[in-house]
Amino acid sequence: MLDVGRHPNIELLAYTEVEKVEGEAENFKVTLRRKARYVEEDRCTGCGACAEKCPTAVPDAFNEGLGYRSAIYSYFAQGIPSTHTIDPDHCRQLNGKKCGICAKTCQAEAINFEQKDRIIELNVGAIIIAAGYDIFDPSLIPEYRYREIANVVTAIEFERLLSASGPTGGHMDRPSDRAVEAEIEALEKKAKKSQKALDKLEKKFDEPSAAFYRKYQAGEYKDDEDRKKWADKYAAHLTVTEPLEELKKKAEAFTVAKRLAFIQCVGSRDFRFYPFCSGYCCMHSIKEAMIAQEHVPETTSTIFGMDIRAVGKGFEEYKIRGGNNSNITYVRGRVAEITEGPDNNPVVIYEDTRERKVKRQEFDMVVLATACAPIKGIAGLAKTLGIELDNYNFIKTSPLSPVDTTTPGIFVCGCAESPMDVPESVAQASSAAERAAEIAFQPELEKEKAVA
Amino acid sequence: MSKDILVIGGGIAGMQSSLDLADMGIKVHLIEKLPSIGGKMAQLDKTFPTNDCAI
Ligand SMILES: Cc1cc2nc3c(=O)[nH]c(=O)nc-3n(C[C@H](O)[C@H](O)[C@H](O)COP(=O)(O)OP(=O)(O)OC[C@H]3O[C@@H](n4cnc5c(N)ncnc54)[C@H](O)[C@@H]3O)c2cc1C
Ligand code: SF4
Repeated sequence: MLDVGRHPNIELLAYTEVEKVEGEAENFKVTLRRKARYVEEDRCTGCGACAEKCPTAVPDAFNEGLGYRSAIYSYFAQGIPSTHTIDPDHCRQLNGKKCGICAKTCQAEAINFEQKDRIIELNVGAIIIAAGYDIFDPSLIPEYRYREIANVVTAIEFERLLSASGPTGGHMDRPSDRAVEAEIEALEKKAKKSQKALDKLEKKFDEPSAAFYRKYQAGEYKDDEDRKKWADKYAAHLTVTEPLEELKKKAEAFTVAKRLAFIQCVGSRDFRFYPFCSGYCCMHSIKEAMIAQEHVPETTSTIFGMDIRAVGKGFEEYKIRGGNNSNITYVRGRVAEITEGPDNNPVVIYEDTRERKVKRQEFDMVVLATACAPIKGIAGLAKTLGIELDNYNFIKTSPLSPVDTTTPGIFVCGCAESPMDVPESVAQASSAAERAAEIAFQPELEKEKAVA
Repeated sequence: MSKDILVIGGGIAGMQSSLDLADMGIKVHLIEKLPSIGGKMAQLDKTFPTNDCAI
């Protein structure tokens, strides 16, 4: 990433999209829209002081909504460029409220609430599409109850939980437990506030609220208006502290998730959605199970799949290593349903096809290996570029020219073309670069021919 | 003079194409929809089959 940001031959335009493409191979006229960040790129040093002071919390997309960021943010800590961006949907100032705290904080005077989108025009010889993929939305399979059962998560969410820089600092904290902890935090804040008001009254009447309240309930201080207010305040305080204590007691029993289930082919090899294999998900489930076990050695994982597709250099060995060293059990069977048992534990109901038996097993957390889906904006992008898509909305190519789209001079690589892992994406990327370079060098090649 | 190339998307595929072209001496314009490049790979903790850190 750093190399891309620093290379003198690369002009990096982040927060930018294609608006229009005209012309043909060797001579495309491209119109780009560089979206307003409301931060001057040449001034922002990426120090992050603004984000610390910003009072608005927004679910963090980079962490798959498992944490929060400010309305002014860098997409992730090591992001290139590190230029911060104001989220126009959530920023208070941009939504007509009084704020501007970031602008007051910024030493570089980089904040510019008046910044507008900029239109950029370019002439290019060729175009490479590397727009990637989206995560299949597992709520389309209602029997897996994603979003209904808190501890059923997607594999990409699990990656963020595993990451030391993620929302849990790499601890396998269960979403249901994190929700309780967030509730405790909110109630504690509330309790602190109401306690402050009670403190004043306790001082005034020189008595603890609890002792006073007992007497008040027994019928003392009948016509004392001031004490009635105190009693009301204390009763309101109890409606916060009582559930708070209960939740705290519950939270004492929380531990990290140690019994993991991985469910393969969620949306792939499924005729309701994508009939083909996404190729990389068997491998990333094994990887995630291995890493979880490295974090907490007693972790056990069960991977439920029709079969494990470990097709690649060193992949089969990796799968076996997982089974031997990382407490992974591979179960051949398709999961029919996930329900919720006690303690927010997901229960997996499946057919063990080796034993031909329907079974159920309880876990701490279930991870869904979601299919590789085409990106949401792909139809619009294809129309702008004048290229065709295949039946599943990946970019159309042919087997003998796997990086050529249906329009000469426009190439494709990575998961925009079809599901593939990182090594394959890199190989295709180099092929696409090579095909584009043929066009880039065309004038020089022709000149050479003329001289010869 | 060679012609410029436009690369759409700054995930691992777009970054690799851009670097290859740039190393050949070709001017690349790399555009990314999100505020930073990196794509999905930047979200991964580690990558198979080596379990190296993704970024
Ligand atoms: C949970 C999980 C774990 C994985 N683990 C591994 C692993 O360990 N090893 C491995 O080899 N593979 C792994 N993979 C697969 C890996 O994520 C992909 O192979 C790889 O990220 C594909 O890269 P890409 O550049 O094609 O796409 P992406 O990473 O999706 O990048 C595409 C980029 O293009 C941008 N973009 C999209 N539309 C536009 C537009 N219109 N204009 C401008 N920019 C746009 C996007 O914002 C994004 O930055 C995993 C996948 C998942 C889901
Ligand atoms: S890689 Fe594994 S989980 Fe993914 S679609 Fe293929 S078989 Fe299913």
